[in-house]
Amino acid sequence: MSVPKNQDDIYQKIDAYINGTLDEKQKDALWVEFAKTPDLLDQLELEVGIKKIIQDSAKKNAVSNVYSLPNWVWHASAAAVILIVALVQLLGVDTPTQIEDFLVGNIPNEQLETANGVRSDEITLTKADSLLNVGFAAISSGDNDKALEIFAEVISEYDEEPYASKAYLNTGIIKYNDGAYDQAITNFKEAAERAKENRMISEKAFWYLGNAYVNIGEMEKALFAVGEAYTRDGIFRKPAFLLYQKLNYDLGNFDIEDAEEASPDQ
Amino acid sequence: MDYSKFVTAVLNNDKESIRDSYVIITKVLVKFLLVRLDANIEDAKDSAQNAIMFSIEKIKNEELNHPDYIIHYLFTTAKHDYLKHQNKQKESNYEEVPDNYSQKSDQLERILDDEKHSILKRCFSKLKPKQLAYISFWFNNPGSETALVAKHFGISVNNAWTKKHRIIQVLKECFERNINK
Repeated sequence: MSVPKNQDDIYQKIDAYINGTLDEKQKDALWVEFAKTPDLLDQLELEVGIKKIIQDSAKKNAVSNVYSLPNWVWHASAAAVILIVALVQLLGVDTPTQIEDFLVGNIPNEQLETANGVRSDEITLTKADSLLNVGFAAISSGDNDKALEIFAEVISEYDEEPYASKAYLNTGIIKYNDGAYDQAITNFKEAAERAKENRMISEKAFWYLGNAYVNIGEMEKALFAVGEAYTRDGIFRKPAFLLYQKLNYDLGNFDIEDAEEASPDQ
Repeated sequence: MDYSKFVTAVLNNDKESIRDSYVIITKVLVKFLLVRLDANIEDAKDSAQNAIMFSIEKIKNEELNHPDYIIHYLFTTAKHDYLKHQNKQKESNYEEVPDNYSQKSDQLERILDDEKHSILKRCFSKLKPKQLAYISFWFNNPGSETALVAKHFGISVNNAWTKKHRIIQVLKECFERNINK
């Protein structure tokens, strides 16, 4: 491929073009470069293609990012739940909230467990770590079947912690996003059981386990699992609190006098 | 693409060289019309062909010979030809293309070819996790200063570009290996 001498500059302009930061004049100038060096159009096509793959993957795994909302939203939401429940009790009307409003629709990729090295730049990776990373890469590129095979290999070949719980959790996430809630539950339960000593993984496993139970209508089991997630006091504490309240109400467990203080660990 | 050679080929009526240039220029003009004007492929091919034919006439008449002017002429003519065609389809008989036609934003994804894209997807799935994390961050943060990417990964700005280029290169090599299979 023949490219001009100032190829770095051109590549940066292609990058800017794809990112939408060129003005019309700059775009025209870039197209003149494409006319002079048509091979650069292959570079443009390649980068546009990569961006599309990444965006499609992100869309596929898009989720209502409940736990990234600011604190005041959670406080307001909790207050709203309590108020609605109180009104329902007092006025005898049907609840205007739906359980689905409190559920995770689709679990995002960043919730997948990989080798610690991917996020902390540790150098030493075991074979099981590498497999977890390869599984993560497979999911990121949309190849869930390949990822499932890899996580199954981790479970069968490296049945020890933290690898097995991570592999079970990741398998559960894939199954949850596929709507295969029974299989998701089996895997989340295994992950929670094996990760007893790992607060972060067990919290995640219980939180998604609770969500999966709600999806199949097992509300009592969901209540227990969400309560377990809440008591681990991690990143899912707030959404777990809201879902716990809603489940309690739907199950008829709610005592209005305790509304202000209700929480799963009390 | 050496446009002075194209001029020489036209003036010497070197049909083989003209054909070679024609193929390359057509590719550029068609993609230009697809991306910048969101043209459909058949209209884009027609307008690209017309623009090249007009330019050949101009060169033969010695009205056009400087490479930069040829490029400018090709783009302008292809664009106007396409817009005229579109306006005719709307039964608005413009002699000149109005200056105030509404310009859509560029449709960069129009440049993609389904078959090539599926090969690229396969190559993408083979990236190492760290490469994947890096390139995903890059493209998930459009418009960010490269300095931000560099800071995120704890490297210099120059290294940030180099790292991106290397990953693109890995994908390109994989792509070229597979497209030729």
